[in-house]
Amino acid sequence: MLPAAGEPAAGDSWGMLACLCAVLWHLPAVPALNRTGDPGPGPSIQKTYDLTRYLEHQLRSLAGTYLNYLGPPFNEPDFNPPRLGAETLPRATVNLDVWRSLNDKLRLTQNYEAYSHLLCYLRGLDRQAATAELRRSLAHFCTSLQGLLGSIAGVMAALGYPLPQPLPGTEPTRAPGPAHSDFLQKMDDFWLLKELQTWLWRSAKDFNRLKKKTQPPPAAVTLHLEAHGF
Amino acid sequence: MALFSAFQTTFLLALLSLKTYQSEVLSEPLSLAPESLEVSIDSARQCLHLQWSVHNLAYHQELKMVFQIEISRIKTSNVIWVENYSTTVKRNQVLRWSWESKLPLECAKHSVRMRGAVDDAQVPELRFWSNWTSWEEVDVQSSLGHDPLFVFPKDKLVEEGSNVTICYVSRSHQNNISCYLEGVRMHGEQLDPNVCVFHLKNVPFVRETGTNIYCKADQGDLIKGIVLFVSIFEEPKDFSCETRDLKTLNCTWAPGSDAGLLTQLSQSYTLFESFSGKKTLCKHKSWCNWQVSPDSQEMYNFTLTAENYLRKRSVHLLFNLTHRVHPMAPFNVFVKNVSATNATMTWKVHSIGNYSTLLCQIELYGEGKVIQKQNVSVKVNGKHLMKKLEPSTEYAAQVRCANANHFWKWSEWTRRNFTTAEAAPSEAPDVWRNMKSVQGHCVVTLFWKPLSKLQANGKILFYNVVLENLDRPSTLKLLSIPAPANGTELTLDQCSYQIHVTANNSVGTSPASVIAVSGDPGNKEVEEERVKGTEDGFCLSWKPQPGGVTGYVVEWCERPGDPLCDLQWKNLGPNTTSTVVSSDAFRPGVRYNFRIYGISTERIPYLLEKKTGYSQELVPSDNPQVLMSNLTSYSFTLSWKDYAAESQPGFVQGYSLYLKSKAARCLPGSEKAVLSDDSICCKYKIDNPKQKTFVVENLQPASFYEFFLTPYTSVGEGPQGAFTKVTTPDEYSHILIRIILPMIFSILLIMILCYLKSQWMKEKCYPDIPDPYKSSVLSLIKSKENPRLTIMNVKDCIPDAIEVINKQEGTRKSLTETEPTKPTYLYLLPTEKSHSGPGPCICFENFTYNQAASDSVSCGHVPVTPKAQPSQLGLLTSSENGPKALGKNYVNSLGEIPAGETNLNYVSQLASPMCGDKSSLPTNPPEPALCSEYKTQMAIPMGLASPPSITLLDEGEHDH
Repeated sequence: MLPAAGEPAAGDSWGMLACLCAVLWHLPAVPALNRTGDPGPGPSIQKTYDLTRYLEHQLRSLAGTYLNYLGPPFNEPDFNPPRLGAETLPRATVNLDVWRSLNDKLRLTQNYEAYSHLLCYLRGLDRQAATAELRRSLAHFCTSLQGLLGSIAGVMAALGYPLPQPLPGTEPTRAPGPAHSDFLQKMDDFWLLKELQTWLWRSAKDFNRLKKKTQPPPAAVTLHLEAHGF
Repeated sequence: MALFSAFQTTFLLALLSLKTYQSEVLSEPLSLAPESLEVSIDSARQCLHLQWSVHNLAYHQELKMVFQIEISRIKTSNVIWVENYSTTVKRNQVLRWSWESKLPLECAKHSVRMRGAVDDAQVPELRFWSNWTSWEEVDVQSSLGHDPLFVFPKDKLVEEGSNVTICYVSRSHQNNISCYLEGVRMHGEQLDPNVCVFHLKNVPFVRETGTNIYCKADQGDLIKGIVLFVSIFEEPKDFSCETRDLKTLNCTWAPGSDAGLLTQLSQSYTLFESFSGKKTLCKHKSWCNWQVSPDSQEMYNFTLTAENYLRKRSVHLLFNLTHRVHPMAPFNVFVKNVSATNATMTWKVHSIGNYSTLLCQIELYGEGKVIQKQNVSVKVNGKHLMKKLEPSTEYAAQVRCANANHFWKWSEWTRRNFTTAEAAPSEAPDVWRNMKSVQGHCVVTLFWKPLSKLQANGKILFYNVVLENLDRPSTLKLLSIPAPANGTELTLDQCSYQIHVTANNSVGTSPASVIAVSGDPGNKEVEEERVKGTEDGFCLSWKPQPGGVTGYVVEWCERPGDPLCDLQWKNLGPNTTSTVVSSDAFRPGVRYNFRIYGISTERIPYLLEKKTGYSQELVPSDNPQVLMSNLTSYSFTLSWKDYAAESQPGFVQGYSLYLKSKAARCLPGSEKAVLSDDSICCKYKIDNPKQKTFVVENLQPASFYEFFLTPYTSVGEGPQGAFTKVTTPDEYSHILIRIILPMIFSILLIMILCYLKSQWMKEKCYPDIPDPYKSSVLSLIKSKENPRLTIMNVKDCIPDAIEVINKQEGTRKSLTETEPTKPTYLYLLPTEKSHSGPGPCICFENFTYNQAASDSVSCGHVPVTPKAQPSQLGLLTSSENGPKALGKNYVNSLGEIPAGETNLNYVSQLASPMCGDKSSLPTNPPEPALCSEYKTQMAIPMGLASPPSITLLDEGEHDH
């Protein structure tokens, strides 16, 4: 029995090698790897995904600074105020089933619209900031967020989806009225940063999902894994 | 008509009105009560604004009135404020009064009422209070809305250090509310079940985004808060005004800090002058200009007011304009009439009034330092003479002015640079000489030191050298040497000269420096002394000369060993007998030589003393090359005569010899020493630095030693070097050498001789023995084709008698020497004693001996007695048919065989085929000869023949 058990193992490795050689031979024929023409939306999705991760990291530092600037209780870790004045902010949280059932177009459109709004609010935040360093950080983040917006627009264009048109007169502004107290304004700022963070998390998931959908066929993946393991 | 009727009606009405008024005033006191009281709220400022009017006043009447206002909180009985407000009242005029509440108005219900009284001296009878108005209630809470929680005041802006009251209004009775200031819980005072009040005292500035105060319900996510902005606003500092031209006043200040306000609130500055009543709004935050009025206003009283959203802050300044004059910088400044020692400075000043005098300050700078300072009073034109200046020197002069009567501030400096004119050099150059004799001439090298700037008084252009021959006083020789040179070389005859050296600039000549040289260079032999240098230099002293010395000169080279040794000298007075020579050029480990000269009255230098030393001695830089000689079993000699101790970086005081040996104890004269590598050896100390040889004694024969020699200075020994190995010879080895060497030489000589005479030696010592097999006779035999003829074999011989004899030693020796590897053991010797009769027939066929007969054979073994041998030989050799092939030597050797060795020839013939060359043994051994044939051999007479016999010398060797 033992020799019989040993033979298949040797046969397996030979078989794997033969399979690898065969796959390598047919490699030019694999359409997913044959990227001589249009690369498709894959790279730009990946780039957008990377950008969301980068912005998430960047926001973590910015939010810490900004919430310290607002003072306690806004910089307290367990502070969770009600979403009083922040109703106009686009909500990132959504039911999981709803999220799953979103089609690519809707998913991308929601992202695009959310960041368009958030960017406007964030620019208002930038104008209000008192210290030059904070203004610099906010301006830098705004530029990055603008980049993300452009990246999403690029993905949508690559997939052939039209960009959502902003409705006239619905441009969100950050103009506290007389009834809007400074404390409420700080709450809004807090919620803006929090919502932005949530949106970046969600976008990372959104683009990861899109990335998986547009990834090459499983044959190429198998090849990759085998070659790696080998 | 209509016009008339209208006029009549108006007149009647007026008359009625007047009558009514008169009747009221005159009949009873009229009550002037405030009416139409309205209360409004300014929540942002926490103010109650009241407005009312007094209706009962007559038309155009103006009365001074006082109004008493009462404000109660929560309930009307709780009056918290009472104030009397006085004002002038007109009929139906709307009066206003405001009150700022400490407690936010939203926190509690407030009620206001008021009453009035005439406070006018014209109408003293009306001085009594009217009735109170009814309470006007102010209840903001009712209009707040339906939120469960409120916090007041909303986003208040206060100054740092002020007291603030905060409250919350809760609509939820079940929920407990907690309030926090910057995350720290506050404890308040319950105003009513729904309202709680918190008093904050002396609020600090926390951050620009304000202090966060918030309240939240213990359950649920109910949270409300406010932001308290705290402002820091200081008054302006260092407020000051001055004028430069009496036309414009310039006021400056440093703004106080204004933090805590977000950018929307900024400060403004206003300048107000109280005497003129003028006011100006300053455009800049730290300065403001004020035009001086042309009406010669002298006194000014300024108030600078800084104002922001919250409050104003002011500073005051009262001054006389003439006391605040800051003059302009002087102009038209010139330095004129510049000579070698004097210069004049002139300038002008701006007038500061007809009768004012300016005080001007002049500073003279030389080489960056103030060397003169002078104050001068000036109206318009200034002038100052600067004296005691140095010739040919750069100076800077500057002037500034201030109000002489009321000093306020100096003007800025105005500066001018100038250079004074040159003057003749003030000092003679310091001259020294170096003398040497070259080919009968005296070569004098003159050196001089450049004059200092102070001595030169200008740029030195050239040096004049005048040679005065003392032997021929009328002879003068002038040399002019261009300026940068600091010496010259003169070749003089052996005469005495006096040399005068002067330095010259564009203005004149310096005093002359005189030095004399004589034919004798003066370098007499003087003992050199050693001096010890220190960090400060060399301290040199010498014996005072008994008179006739005008001074001393110490001379040395700063770079000894260099051809341009950089000769230095130092002139010293005649009473000096010591000096310290110091120089930055002195280096450790360099030997400096100093010569001390006395200067005679004739200005001739003569050598007094020589000193030598190191500024800092170092350890020797290298070790001597040591040569070893006279090596015996007990001693060896070391010498290092080539070692240059003088070139070491310190005075060599002696040498240390390290000797390593296997012996545990050091020899006498040495002591144990530990080397840097922790090895132990013996050390000999050679104290005399001039000793260049050393004998190491008391050594052990045939022993291994290692030695190392190093010099030492006062600082230490030279570098650690390699040890030289030496082994002392054996005690007897020299004797052996004396014997063995000649012996070897002798043997060699003999061997050479033997080689040269080898042929002779061969003939003498070991001649060739003829080999029968190689004999040419064999071919003759073969040619006759006689198969029966063969060489006799010893086996064929049957001995009939064996006689053991004692051979003579000499015979045997000669045999063994000649053929040592060819043992011979069988001898057949004829003996007379042994043959008693005719023996059996033994036939020896030996062609060697019977070749003479062509067909007859002879028995090889011819028994002959020594006596009979000659005849027998004679018989054999007489044979005319003897083979010519036989060598002459062979024949000769036979002939020369001594009597005792006759039998030897036979032995050799027999033994040859047996032992000499077995391979050449005949394959067909000769058959034994028949007796009949033997008989023919027996032709020899019986009397001569002796019976055959075999002599067995050595039985042991027989079988070979």
